Amino acid sequence: MGKILEVKHLSISFRTPGGILHAVRDISFELERGETLSIVGESGSGKSVTSKAILGILAGNSIVESGEILYDGRDLLRLPETDMVRIRGDKISMIFQDPLSSLNPIVKIGHQITEAMLLKNKVSRKESRAEFNRLLAILRDHMIAAVGGESAPEAAHVKEMVETFDRFNSEGIKWESEYNTAHANAEELISKIDDFLFLSEKHQRLDVRATLKELHKRLGTVKAPFLTTKYDDRIAALQAKLTEVTPLYKKGGTQTVEELPEPIVEASRDVRACMNEIVGQTRPNFFRIGYYMMKNPTADLGAQPVEEVNEMALRYLNEDFMNEYLRLEKAGVRHSFEEALEQKKKVVGELEEAMTWYASEFTKKEAEEKARVLADAVEASIDRLETNKDSTAYTFRSSLNGAIQKYFNAVVNNPKEEARFARQTRRRDALIARGRTVDWKVVPKTVYDLGDLRAEIVGLIRRLKDKYDAYIAAAETIDLDARSIDLIDYFKDKASQAVYRVTKRMAKEQAIKLMDEVGIPDSRIRYNQYPFEFSGGMRQRIVIAIALSANPDILICDEPTTALDVTIQSQILELINKLKAERKLSVIFITHDLGVVANMADRIAVMYAGKIVEFGTSEDVFYRAAHPYTWALLSSMPDLDTSEKLEAIPGTPPNMIFPPVGDAFAARNKYALKVDFEKQPPLFRISETHSAATWLLHPDAPHVDPPKIITERIERMKARGGAGHAE
Amino acid sequence: MPNEEVLLRVEHLCQYFRSGKFENKAVDDVSFDIHRGEVFGLVGESGCGKTTTGRTIIKLYDATSGDVYFKGVRIAAGKRSYQDAIRKAKADLKEKLKTASAEEAAALKAECDRIVAENKEKIRAAEEDVRSCDRVYSRNLCEKLTADYEPRIAAASGEEKAKLEKEYRNELYKAKHTKLVTQIQMIFQDPIASLDPRMTVREIISEGLIIQGERDQKVIDEKVYEMLELVGLVREHAGRYPHEFSGGQRQRIGIARSIIMKPELIIADEPVSALDVSIQAQVINLMNELREKFGLTILFIAHDLSVVKYFSDRIGVMYFGKLVELAPSDELFLHPLHPYTRSLLSAIPLPDPVYEKTRKRIVYNPLVEHDYSTSTPTLREVLPGHFVMCNDAEFEKYRAEVGQ
Repeated sequence: MGKILEVKHLSISFRTPGGILHAVRDISFELERGETLSIVGESGSGKSVTSKAILGILAGNSIVESGEILYDGRDLLRLPETDMVRIRGDKISMIFQDPLSSLNPIVKIGHQITEAMLLKNKVSRKESRAEFNRLLAILRDHMIAAVGGESAPEAAHVKEMVETFDRFNSEGIKWESEYNTAHANAEELISKIDDFLFLSEKHQRLDVRATLKELHKRLGTVKAPFLTTKYDDRIAALQAKLTEVTPLYKKGGTQTVEELPEPIVEASRDVRACMNEIVGQTRPNFFRIGYYMMKNPTADLGAQPVEEVNEMALRYLNEDFMNEYLRLEKAGVRHSFEEALEQKKKVVGELEEAMTWYASEFTKKEAEEKARVLADAVEASIDRLETNKDSTAYTFRSSLNGAIQKYFNAVVNNPKEEARFARQTRRRDALIARGRTVDWKVVPKTVYDLGDLRAEIVGLIRRLKDKYDAYIAAAETIDLDARSIDLIDYFKDKASQAVYRVTKRMAKEQAIKLMDEVGIPDSRIRYNQYPFEFSGGMRQRIVIAIALSANPDILICDEPTTALDVTIQSQILELINKLKAERKLSVIFITHDLGVVANMADRIAVMYAGKIVEFGTSEDVFYRAAHPYTWALLSSMPDLDTSEKLEAIPGTPPNMIFPPVGDAFAARNKYALKVDFEKQPPLFRISETHSAATWLLHPDAPHVDPPKIITERIERMKARGGAGHAE
Repeated sequence: MPNEEVLLRVEHLCQYFRSGKFENKAVDDVSFDIHRGEVFGLVGESGCGKTTTGRTIIKLYDATSGDVYFKGVRIAAGKRSYQDAIRKAKADLKEKLKTASAEEAAALKAECDRIVAENKEKIRAAEEDVRSCDRVYSRNLCEKLTADYEPRIAAASGEEKAKLEKEYRNELYKAKHTKLVTQIQMIFQDPIASLDPRMTVREIISEGLIIQGERDQKVIDEKVYEMLELVGLVREHAGRYPHEFSGGQRQRIGIARSIIMKPELIIADEPVSALDVSIQAQVINLMNELREKFGLTILFIAHDLSVVKYFSDRIGVMYFGKLVELAPSDELFLHPLHPYTRSLLSAIPLPDPVYEKTRKRIVYNPLVEHDYSTSTPTLREVLPGHFVMCNDAEFEKYRAEVGQ
């Protein structure tokens, strides 16, 4: 577990002809790894806007007023577009409401599914190599520093060790790359034969002889040490067999396939069986073997069983190199950690001093200079060898600059806004005084309190300071040995990612697997079809397949089932749940249908008029709902046992160009108190996981029971054995 | 309360669409009755033909085969079944003539001619009914009016006579323009697409009245205002355009447009599917109120089973153009018999997380569930009022299940 995405104090508005529309007003939530967070609300409550902000695909007239969206040590709101494309679809992916408009109508769906895989692979190879080199350079510096600097007697030894590490990794990569190519070729061959047999069985148009020739040719490319050493003879025999059977098929050229002669089918099946065996072998550990091969370039390991080679290479590596290297690396990691800790202790003081400095007035130049110095110090205090990045520190500079920018914008804009408001009010009053009817309202002024904005800056710094304090306090307990091992694993990962090549064929096979996974029958034919040939439910499945094709961390589902009927909806929801479990996805699920939410969500955020009004686990929200809006939502939907009149919510949501002063729901709320119209309620905490923004939870508020329709339903659910477990 | 009077009877209704050589059987042999004052729900997944059924009833499509009776009058009739009978008779004749002797042949020919003539007569009757049901209805109305007014006009004199004559002429004009089918009205699914963006709300709501021959602008306005207030809008809304309204309000306009014709039957085609949950409840409550007020009969087409259950008295379940189960709504949810109905019921999401996480969806695969190789299924009454599509073996099984 752990937080994968944090949204903090996000406010978004839109420039419209009628004025500024406040779509999202100061919402914060966190997404845990592997959970489903549901955002529920009516249309226009800002739920889609929030999700679009996370992906950075807001409309052109949007203004991000404030807030942060933290993901993987970066603030998505302040990321340049060039970096954002790397995240969009790759790390965070989205399923849209309308499957028809989110597919390209003139591109075959197979191409649409594989596109992301191919692009992502290309980029990830390059990036992994760069990351490997960058991190190794940092590690090397720290290792040298740990043994006493450049001049120390051991420095030369360290340099040599790191160089060896790099070199044998490259050696391993070389072998692995060769292995991967042959492996991919074998997989492609399997896919080719699958296609061939499938098409000829269905009597499609095909050039049989050319295909057989190509199989023969491709069979020759399946060749790599460790992979095919044992199979060389068999492959040669298969090749001979293919050459032998090809003339049995009389017709040349592309045309409808007649019944294939049995020997041809048999030969193809044999090839496929052999390839399957090859592909199914245990994968050698090239990290270990690389070292062995570097030391003994003439050794012939390919003939021995892979398991034995793995064992032997590991022993050799540990004895000859790894134990020593690990000792040095641990020292390096410790050095980096201690240095960062030292810096952190120093920075804490600076942060404290900055907090008092930013609390009072300052000029722009001073503030920016100070922010620069502070951010430099903070960045120096980051332990770069920590693979689990701490997002607050990494985004400190951009957050701080953003907050300062906002402060000075307010300094400039506040007087302008005041003047505009006064001018318009004057004009309106004058018109009314003359007895005219005025059918327009004065747009309320958006004046920021400078003190609040300064407090925001201070709060930003305090958050980091608190984090550092906690870190320093826990410094003793951090397991540096585990971290060193993790680091080596990280290097290994990056190295093999750098040589993992996805070809078009492989992408196709993966796409077909994915299509099977999302429940599209006849995926091999469907692969070559256009979106219009699919029904609504199938189209939505394809959209899901595309969203999953790049293996994202976070999946955002924006009303994925609203346009579908119950049976298909149920299937799609089951599918998302299944994929979530299999791939350890974190899901943000946006919908207005509470029935759907009950099935999906671990936690639920109920949104109304751009604010989160209730937040809790799904049991909290369904069995112990506290906000009148949640009550209203629950009671306005009939379930199978409802017979009395539904309690509809009267009226419509407020116009967000003129957001209400108090609780936005007050006007439609029959439980509204007087204070609801005057002051916005804060988020009251009900339990560890559950909170709601309503004055009804204030200790001085009168006691109000939820509507009868809900209490009765909960009784019924208890009787059925549902809610009883949640107590 | 629903009574026994059958308002709408649908018999063996088929609606096929031709796409190339292939014929798409959107609705295939569907029969049901709707009693006066009840709400009849029609459910099924998308593409199962429920909307097409509604549209064929209101004569937006010409039925391929089968009859629709409204208030005892045949308003829609298809010809395909008679044509098929003719074709079959001719083919049979051809087949039999190969082996038949001379005198047998004459008898066979006569028999065939008889069948052909009979069915041709039926086709003619169907065409005539479909064409003239409205004309006959308005003629009857006119006769009634004449019978009503003429003695009064004869009895009156002077100014009163002139006034009566004017009123009579006006009423007669209206009666001549009245159609029987306008007593069936439709509410469409998408409130955005079903309202003309270039007409004001007043024009939209009053359009039907004008077509029906109402010429007095004052009367029209009064009626429009009355309807607007009835559906929870205000008079001022009459001058606005559809885009100025929210989704729920637009659906209210659609409802006002259909009830201004004082219909006896409303076909509501997924009226709440496109709306938010909170607005859904408003519209459902509104329809419930109107139903009580006017004693409306409603054919409610939807795929959201919880809404249908809440709203309907009887429910028909459709699957790929066929009606597979038909029962009073409580009965249907208590004893779902057809495997497709069970699968549909098992897919309903409920607002109960603990229950939801254990809910298992039943998968329906007609090839696995049924063996119709020996006997073909028909709609049979398992319990009084509870019909299921089944064959003999299944019929016995279902009866055993409900304890008969």
